[in-house]
Amino acid sequence: MTTYNGKSRRAFLSLCLKGGASVAALTSLQLQALSNTLNSEPLSDYKALVCIFLHGGSDSLNMLVPTSGQHRTNYEQSRQNLVVNDAINLTTKTQFEGGVGLHPSMGNLTSLFDSGQLAFVGGVGTLIAPTTLADYKNKAVSIPSHLFSHNDQQATWMHGQEKVSLNTGWGARMLERLNQHSAFTSNISLAGSNPWQSGIQTSPYALSRNGVMKINPLSGYQPQVDHVKSIMDRLLQTNSNNPIQDAYASRLSRSISNVQSMNTLLEQAPELTTQFSDNNLSQQLAAVAKSLSISNQTTSQRQIFFVSLGGFDTHDEQLTTQPALFSTLATALSEFQSALNELALQNSVTTFTMSDFGRTLTSNGDGTDHGWAGNQLIMGGAVNGSDVHGIMLDQQVGGPLDVGGGRLIPQFSNEQYFAPIAKWFGLSEADVYELFPNAGNFDAFTLPLFNS
Amino acid sequence: MKLLALLMVFTFLLSACGGGSDTNNSNVTNEDNNTSSPSPPADTNTDNQTGDDAQTPDAGNNEDENPDAGAVGTAPIVDVRAPGSIVRKGTTIVIESAITGGDEQLTYLWEQIAGPTAVIENHQSPSLTVTLPETHSSTQDDFVFALTVTNREGLSTYTETTIESINAMTQKQAATLLHQGTLGPTHAEIQAATGKSEEEWINAQFASETTYHMPFLENYPNKEQPNHINRIDAWWKASLSAPDQLRQRVAFALSQIFVVSDANSALRGEPEGMTNYYDMLLKNAFGNFRTLLESVTLSPVMGVYLSHLGNEKANLDKNIRPDENYAREVMQLFTIGLDELNLDGTVKLDDNGNTIPTYSQLEIGGFAKVFTGWTFAYSARWNRPSKNYTLPMHPFEDYHSNLEKHLLNGEVIPADTGAEASMKLALDNLFMHPNVAPFISKQLIQRLVKSNPTPAYVERVATIFNDNGQGDRGDLTAVVKAILLDEEARKYSVVLEHTGKIKEPILTKLHFWRTLNAASQANRYYTWNLSTTFGQGPLLSPSVFNFFRPDHRPSELLDSNLVAPELQIATDSNMISTTNSHYSDLVWRMAERKSTLNPNTIYMYGEAHISLLENAGLEALLDHYDVVYFAGIMSDETRSALTDLDSYFVNRTPADRISQLLYMISLSPEFNYQN
Repeated sequence: MTTYNGKSRRAFLSLCLKGGASVAALTSLQLQALSNTLNSEPLSDYKALVCIFLHGGSDSLNMLVPTSGQHRTNYEQSRQNLVVNDAINLTTKTQFEGGVGLHPSMGNLTSLFDSGQLAFVGGVGTLIAPTTLADYKNKAVSIPSHLFSHNDQQATWMHGQEKVSLNTGWGARMLERLNQHSAFTSNISLAGSNPWQSGIQTSPYALSRNGVMKINPLSGYQPQVDHVKSIMDRLLQTNSNNPIQDAYASRLSRSISNVQSMNTLLEQAPELTTQFSDNNLSQQLAAVAKSLSISNQTTSQRQIFFVSLGGFDTHDEQLTTQPALFSTLATALSEFQSALNELALQNSVTTFTMSDFGRTLTSNGDGTDHGWAGNQLIMGGAVNGSDVHGIMLDQQVGGPLDVGGGRLIPQFSNEQYFAPIAKWFGLSEADVYELFPNAGNFDAFTLPLFNS
Repeated sequence: MKLLALLMVFTFLLSACGGGSDTNNSNVTNEDNNTSSPSPPADTNTDNQTGDDAQTPDAGNNEDENPDAGAVGTAPIVDVRAPGSIVRKGTTIVIESAITGGDEQLTYLWEQIAGPTAVIENHQSPSLTVTLPETHSSTQDDFVFALTVTNREGLSTYTETTIESINAMTQKQAATLLHQGTLGPTHAEIQAATGKSEEEWINAQFASETTYHMPFLENYPNKEQPNHINRIDAWWKASLSAPDQLRQRVAFALSQIFVVSDANSALRGEPEGMTNYYDMLLKNAFGNFRTLLESVTLSPVMGVYLSHLGNEKANLDKNIRPDENYAREVMQLFTIGLDELNLDGTVKLDDNGNTIPTYSQLEIGGFAKVFTGWTFAYSARWNRPSKNYTLPMHPFEDYHSNLEKHLLNGEVIPADTGAEASMKLALDNLFMHPNVAPFISKQLIQRLVKSNPTPAYVERVATIFNDNGQGDRGDLTAVVKAILLDEEARKYSVVLEHTGKIKEPILTKLHFWRTLNAASQANRYYTWNLSTTFGQGPLLSPSVFNFFRPDHRPSELLDSNLVAPELQIATDSNMISTTNSHYSDLVWRMAERKSTLNPNTIYMYGEAHISLLENAGLEALLDHYDVVYFAGIMSDETRSALTDLDSYFVNRTPADRISQLLYMISLSPEFNYQN
């Protein structure tokens, strides 16, 4: 594996073709990777994925709450002063004991939910294999490393695998596997560099929220601009024998050419009638919508976008911060989906959330701590909406899923959440199992997230 | 004679090891005794002659042990005078000798018997001229020179003198050190350090009075209280002008380990508290790590940021448990990290090759209990906190958990231990953990010197962290000194491929501002949007995980073992906006290019550069830039690119020319790499 991981796929292939590596020495996995690449069929359609990362660990068990029965009683006993009242009853295709109540500050999602463009995924989190409370206590199965630690769990969600020495994000891996990574426009971030989009051959283009970025010295008059640019190009050559310095040089050089190309494209973007609010997330999604509006002018048939909203680490003042965050999220989602409808891209673009972890059912007075299982959102015309896929967890402190302090064991692994998304994006089931090394420990395609 | 000389040299080398100040060792011997009894003179020297300024030949002693020699006459009495003041490497010195009594028909023979090879002249005369080698290591050189004076009777006096030469940094060496130890050195600072030793400069910085930022915190005009932007203004003012640059640089590094931020928190409304937090880092930058850790822990700003302020003991009826936020991050980020480390900073592995976690939920629960019961100082009641953001937090015992608390390494704080005592025990427990030294040392190396220190470098610094030589643990002065004086930082002999780091983008801006006397007539440095322009700013991290992680490996380096943390924020938009910001500073706001100045605008003043260009020409200006901005590593390719750039602007004003040159420097890879 080292050989394969240590080099780019292209370099690896060329090595094989030149006879530099003995085919006999390859593992079956490598052979499969090799054949997949050689056999990859050209894509005929266009699709995009938009990942919304909720930084800090969203208390998403308070986003979907039980509304009646024993589940409600357990919930109220567990949550005490952080209980959500006035939840909006959702009518779900699947029936759940205790019902499904949506946080009242997310009211503007109900029409999307009812129209079938929005679904939730319930009781999901990082797992290596199915885990019971006894397994957890007896250490009978492997447990994800550094549970409850922000950056580690963020990375685990974004990598789609446990920490390995040369790690890559599953977003980037999908692009590379589909051979869609060569154009920088295929991999766009509104929230800086992140593990999900970092691969061997691709890393995200960080788009400015304003879209067009002027490059000051190259915006003057000729022949000065050409002269200045020629000097820049000389300085930014990567021949210093110093890999770190060269990394800087190639970054800047690439940034300049990417920004110039993007500017040319964005100047042709149509004006949208959909209005976006001026909250941080809406503004990021507005820029995504703008990029999507010119996607037909790029060579990309697959695009991935990354946006993020922070502040979910609600150790305190949860009663004021959580409604504001949920409201922002709901507003931004509904604005974005209406922009997609306007662009007639609603069936080609799927938007989904990830977050570090769920939070504890116990409170620390006015907030919650780092937990484990949680709920996620998935939105788009292709999505099997109006439902909660997975489970509505019984929120009971000391219950059969509580590993301590109201941290619930996920009943679905996040790789079971990712697998249908990757399949929708165009990967074969075999590819998906390779993409997510632990997916084979589960029934990877059990969650019917998409319309068939 | 040969045999005797060899034995004597051997002995003097041994004695020289223990010697401190200039030492002369004299011994008298007789040319005739070389065959009869070679050993007594050697004994004499070790027994009696080390460590003093002895000039009188101990003829009696010699006679005692070698009675045959005494019968022949009296050996010359020789006094050797080494230069009295500090001797610097690379200088030429004269070592003089004086003879008491008759000095006719004496023969002189000087030899160098220890130390790096020096060039000696007049070695057969009373005064030896020595040209000492240039600076070639970070430590002082010790030389031993021997003088043998022989009279006409063949009686000799052998005298040794030890010379210590301390470093005299060249301009380039000084520039390299100051790139690591300042917020971007000015030409004047480099000149002042040139000719000094590294240690002299560092010690002078340690002794320099602390420039606190609070005095620079001013209100926005017509406002009663300072605003967030005034905090940024204070940071610029202090950082630009402070003479204690090393302390400022170390505090900036610490602010990226003990992260608090008002980028997206309620702390945005507390500029005094935030500035006070920075001052606390400055105060402790050259203090002890344990004190720093306690100051950080009890800071109300940290208490608000990581929510242990107002954290209460458990109330099981209400399902309330102590907040685990600070408990977790004080371990993961401020002291020990997630995995057990070796002293050299590499991770320890168990028998199965797996990393070993430093703590589990048990310890997190324990530390969470420790940090209960603390709130703002001078709060009359727990539920009516004072909101004093500058004084350390005070405890309320009623809200502190009196249960037993599990710490690291199986240590347990017994039940019914109070808030203050629990806090001190818990911080001691963290402080004594073997991870602290490598964990903190490596990050400080990465902030000051290089992204990829060798394990051996980390171990050398971590060893000093654990014991500064006087038995003290956590002496940050010793740690900073060890980091900067290490061979891997000074690079005198070791040639490593990966010698440095990418400069932090906000520090490149600060460097230009310091060297170009950035100022507005209204004396205001209001800079909005630092985060979206540079991806960083003082106390502006997007989360407690800082702007970038110490183990960030950018995609360009995936097939290497190298990390480059600063490249985590080198996104397309940050890189373009950073270079655009440099362009507007260096080109659009170069004062000498303006006919009128707006009183609120920050201008660069290129006066010194302009006069250098006008009076000495382009090559001299580029030499100057090589020292100030490149610490002497400007390549021929970069120089020729800058020369060719200037050829286009050669008929413009000198202000235009330096503007374009400075801008091109600001984006050049060699400038952005701190060697």
